[in-house]
Amino acid sequence: MINEIPPVKLKGVGDGFWLTVDPDVQEEVINKEICLLFERLQHLAINAKVVIDLGGAQGCDDLLTNIKQLLKTRFDVGIVTTPPEKRPESIERSRQLELGKGWLTNRSDALILTGRVRSGQKIETRRHLIIAGNVNPGAEIISSGNVIVLGSLQGKVYAGYPDSEDAFVIALDFRPTQVQIGGITTSGSYTSLTGKTVYASIANNRITTQDYMESQPFGKLPWPTAI
Amino acid sequence: MEGKIIVVTSGKGGVGKTTATASLGAALALEGNRVAVIDMDIGLRNLDVVLGLENRIVFNIVDVVNKRCNLNQAIIRDRRIENLFLVPASQSDNKDVLTAIGVQRVAKMLKSEFDYILMDSPAGIERGFENSVVAADEAIVICTPDVSSVRDADRVIGLLYSRSITPKLIVNRIVPDMVAKGNMLSHEDVMDVLSIDLLGLVPMDDQVVISTNTGMPLVMHNQSPAGQAFRRIARRINGEVDLPIQVPSARVGMWNKISQKLGLNR
Repeated sequence: MINEIPPVKLKGVGDGFWLTVDPDVQEEVINKEICLLFERLQHLAINAKVVIDLGGAQGCDDLLTNIKQLLKTRFDVGIVTTPPEKRPESIERSRQLELGKGWLTNRSDALILTGRVRSGQKIETRRHLIIAGNVNPGAEIISSGNVIVLGSLQGKVYAGYPDSEDAFVIALDFRPTQVQIGGITTSGSYTSLTGKTVYASIANNRITTQDYMESQPFGKLPWPTAI
Repeated sequence: MEGKIIVVTSGKGGVGKTTATASLGAALALEGNRVAVIDMDIGLRNLDVVLGLENRIVFNIVDVVNKRCNLNQAIIRDRRIENLFLVPASQSDNKDVLTAIGVQRVAKMLKSEFDYILMDSPAGIERGFENSVVAADEAIVICTPDVSSVRDADRVIGLLYSRSITPKLIVNRIVPDMVAKGNMLSHEDVMDVLSIDLLGLVPMDDQVVISTNTGMPLVMHNQSPAGQAFRRIARRINGEVDLPIQVPSARVGMWNKISQKLGLNR
């Protein structure tokens, strides 16, 4: 079914009418449509306030004056105007708005735990996971978002379960038995980064680990971004 | 009189649960307490051998729990140490013959008769472990300074916490020479992972094998460093909480002693 947009639309707005006109259509057709609509209005059109909206099209002044003429002479309408122009927003302003929106509308989606996750214990969450404490060897933590461990991470960690490859893992002491991010797994020693805060993420289909303070993975973001 | 039930457990086998139970039982009895040591390792009993009481067993804990005999019929009194008593395990049954309710009933009877009841838990975290901890007031976790033992101890600590028991730790079989060379986890490394209260550190000691085979309680040997460590642990359990923990040390030189006092080396 083809849903054709009519060349002329009329709707009541506040104390007047809002006339939407498609300027690409032939003038005769427009005039015919306008007459049809305003004849139906009968006496309501007299002394009414009409706003003609050309959809922001430029260079249609002739069309506009013609319609004005037609409405004033034939239907005795009061005032005919064009829609008020929007003030262009400065880039600065729009940035500020975006910034504010970013964390005002974002609901906190993290599970924050304190304490020690011991061997045999398993923490599974669909949210981001923040652990203020240690994850012992033999423990398992699984998050559908990111994982941040403020302590020693020695167990098994799975961030971005099951397939989010944007997820990352940050740990103050990074000595996991196994790391999985999205669908990519790695195990092995991370002795080169002992004693450093480590940031693990996916790059080139591999899990890479970096010294968090040195590489500053989020240092280049222009403003705080909610995740 | 309301005694205290202390379960000795570890998760991993062969770390010295039975030796620790026997030694601590004997040491607590030597301190003047009425002590019962219960072997909960049904089917694989050892505590009677370690205490040298194997040829006096008539009834065992399974008989008591299943009401085949009185508690007093199963209790064996040690002839060398006054106030030390043993309730042996059965060698023919398996761990499923005990029920939690039965164990709790017997535990209540034991509590009214003894100051300390030490339960020697079997290795593992299944039925045998559950039966041992069901009536426990306190728990002692034995751990050796190796990675696998630490991991199992960690699991057991988690399970004990989930039963609202706060366990205390004994690190067993420390070889100070190896720790000094960095070939063995130090007790600090173990504590870093397990983070529970430390009750004592026990050094590796050849005397343990000799006493186990002869059935002579370790704590009766004055020359045994492990025996002495267990006696100090027993004093700590018995209320002397301020007794400082002695770190087993291989160094004997004067300079090392001085530097140790000054805290220059671990």
